[in-house]
Amino acid sequence: MATDTRPDVIESFGEVNKTVGMLFRYLLQVATAFGIAVLAVLLLFVFNDAVRPLTADPGWHLTFFAVLVVPTMVVGSYLYVRDRAAFTFGMTTVGLLMVSLMFASGAALVFVDLLPPVLVFGYTVAVAAGVGVVVGLERYSHRLSFWTRFGGTVAAFYFIFTGFPGIAANALGVEQLVADLPTLLRVNLAVISPPEWLFVLGSIGILFAAVVGLRFASLRDRRTGLVAAGGSLLVVTVVTLLAPLVSVTQVPAAVLATMVLLPMAAYAGGVVLDRPEERTGLVLLVVVVGGALLGELTVGQLGFAGPSSWVDWQFLTDAHSRNPENAGLYPAIGGSILLMVTVALLSFPLGVGAAVYLEEYAPDNRLTRFIDVNISNLAGVPSVVYGLLGLGVFFTYLGQPTGTVMMGGVTLALLILPIVIISSREAIRSVPNEARQASYGMGATRYQTVRRVILPEAFPGILTGTILALGRAIGETAPLIMIGAPSVVFSLPTEISAKVSAMPLQVYAWASLFAGPNFYQKAVPAGVVVLVSVLLAMNSIAIVLRNRYQTDR
Amino acid sequence: MSTDDITNDLTQNTQNAPPELLSRVFFFLCAALSIVTTISIVVLLVTEAMKFFTVTAPLVGVEGETASIVEFLTGTTWQINSQEFGVLALVSGTLLITFGSAVVALPLGVATAIYLSEYAKERHRAVLKPALEVLAGVPTVVYGFFALIYITPAIQTVLPGVGTFNLISASIVVGIMIIPMVASISEDAMTAVPDELRQAGYGMGATKFDVSTGIVVPAALSGIFSSFILALSRAIGETMAVTVAAGAQAKFLNPFPVGKFLSGEAPLPVDPSVYQEGALVMTAAMVNLVTGDITGGGLAYRSLFAIGLTLFVITLVMNVISDAVARRYREEY
Repeated sequence: MATDTRPDVIESFGEVNKTVGMLFRYLLQVATAFGIAVLAVLLLFVFNDAVRPLTADPGWHLTFFAVLVVPTMVVGSYLYVRDRAAFTFGMTTVGLLMVSLMFASGAALVFVDLLPPVLVFGYTVAVAAGVGVVVGLERYSHRLSFWTRFGGTVAAFYFIFTGFPGIAANALGVEQLVADLPTLLRVNLAVISPPEWLFVLGSIGILFAAVVGLRFASLRDRRTGLVAAGGSLLVVTVVTLLAPLVSVTQVPAAVLATMVLLPMAAYAGGVVLDRPEERTGLVLLVVVVGGALLGELTVGQLGFAGPSSWVDWQFLTDAHSRNPENAGLYPAIGGSILLMVTVALLSFPLGVGAAVYLEEYAPDNRLTRFIDVNISNLAGVPSVVYGLLGLGVFFTYLGQPTGTVMMGGVTLALLILPIVIISSREAIRSVPNEARQASYGMGATRYQTVRRVILPEAFPGILTGTILALGRAIGETAPLIMIGAPSVVFSLPTEISAKVSAMPLQVYAWASLFAGPNFYQKAVPAGVVVLVSVLLAMNSIAIVLRNRYQTDR
Repeated sequence: MSTDDITNDLTQNTQNAPPELLSRVFFFLCAALSIVTTISIVVLLVTEAMKFFTVTAPLVGVEGETASIVEFLTGTTWQINSQEFGVLALVSGTLLITFGSAVVALPLGVATAIYLSEYAKERHRAVLKPALEVLAGVPTVVYGFFALIYITPAIQTVLPGVGTFNLISASIVVGIMIIPMVASISEDAMTAVPDELRQAGYGMGATKFDVSTGIVVPAALSGIFSSFILALSRAIGETMAVTVAAGAQAKFLNPFPVGKFLSGEAPLPVDPSVYQEGALVMTAAMVNLVTGDITGGGLAYRSLFAIGLTLFVITLVMNVISDAVARRYREEY
């Protein structure tokens, strides 16, 4: 122990050696940097193999250096020196632009190939109708008993989503009289057949515009909010209408415009209204976007060829091929998106629910302690074993086909559930006890306290933990292999019981089944670059969220 | 747990109101799901593994091919085609990789933890901690590819005897992967050491080096050990990196050729050259079984669950030990 009287300490008492301390410090620094440096070098190698920046014309590099790199450096360092807050704001907008572009492209893929926009629109309207019924019940009939309201809510959602008499029709031996709302909408709209992009705007467009409106309304007043929401819908509509001029199809254009422009507007506009002194940071965004566009235009005019990268449009939109030059990642990207949606829908409510129970409800008894230990042990179970669980339960006992979206989603959700629970518990624990006591003191019940005080306060922390856990799930390969997900899929899975592949699985298939110098030098590095970029984007979102959240408190 | 008396008093009247009851039941079911998961893992692995062994198969009513439990636990040949299931052939590879990754990760992880908790300025921590998280967040299949494509050729230029699939590169990447785990848990333990102990050290005239190595590290030792065990159990369960980098050739590698040493054939009782070869580890064997053409219900299919059970038991025991070490030897301040 520290208080031991060791003879060697006593003998050298009073003699201080500066060299030892300095050497130790340098040793620690080197050790800390070692892992990070190795990974950075490896990532550089793989980036070089995949994107091949050296295959571009020198003129191409020179042009982009002149119009993009130099102005960005100049403006950036000026802002960094003069106004650190504005610099941070500018960097965040640039980062947000890149990240939202990446995720919007994923969403565009969903709208183009996975779910027809009219279906998404139908379900959005159905959810909105259900929520409308709930709000109506809550607002106008406080005299109704809880069970009436509860029953009304359940009945409303049941009839909206399954029609009348709904899924019970078969059991009752009755014909379906009225179809569910999404189907009704689809059938009736098919008669008029409006352009598909209208459905995109009708679902996510209105949703995002509403978020923009709420943000501005909370900063200024209701009118500003309404104007902002209407204005953003208008802008998105105009962009979508103009898209064919630059030969972009309208559905992806509508998705991209909604998911890139509106979050940017909500964030940047909000900061400009809230902290006007930081608005100079926007110059950085303008310089980066303007530089990139100008550079693209200039190299096009001067005829400089860009790098012949393996990560290109063809790679992102084609299926696997035996020929590494033509191999693509598209079905795997789609599969990863579907898996992520399933995993998020399952693990978020379950994980947060468990965390709330353990932190807010659980009595201090043996069962609670057992659950507690059990969760930390589950976090240490190897991922292959979870794959085995999925295989055994779904294939051996339930007789389901192997490798489906549902099987993969459930397995991955179980895998990350302990991580979601542990991080959500930490976030809930960091809510100050005074907040709880104040709420109980006002006469709130436990559930009211959880819903109105604890969850809103802990939400950023929970979100950070969930995003990191989802990042883990998106990179997992072993459980997917164990449940028999096929290494090669040529088309996108269109339903929950279709076979699914995923990005890491496709990379593994290229690195093992199709092992050979061709795949090692082309398809695999390209796949690795895409996978790592998605993960880095998710990690950085989580880190930015956490930093903001910690400084706010 | 925030279930103090006042809260209970304040919420007692409403605790059985329908919305309260419903939400409480929902939250409890979410928490209970973890128990269901554990039970299903255990039941599934045990029943399926029982069908695999000759001794236990009649108990679950399975007729047909089975394997001897003694041969499974002591055999050193893993050959599906000739029905030889000696798990030691797989365990030897797993242990070698675990040891190799420990050599990489434990010193680096502890040094990182000391640096972050004792030396680093807040500004540096803000950069280093997320960077370490990225280290743990890169998919393991990517690490495997790195080992195969970049690290192995680099090693081969120094040691020409190293095969395309080898244990060195696999150990290195697994080691890098688990550095963050060692570092973050050890750092938590070191941060928990109260400042009074450090100040007492400085008051006695100790240097920062003395305080870090003589006070903080010993005081945080239980946390550091539990981080070691957790990280090693992660290394044992690690799948994709090892599958890609260490190959699919099942062989029993013995790093301690004691017999040869006694008969004078080997100069040392330790033979590090086993790291030059590839080996099939437990997790990789499971992946190979699934991706190969095994039919559901066959002996090979059931051997999957026998390996899974072995792996689960090993990692569970390590997790429990780690937990016990952290609890039992924690210094309460």
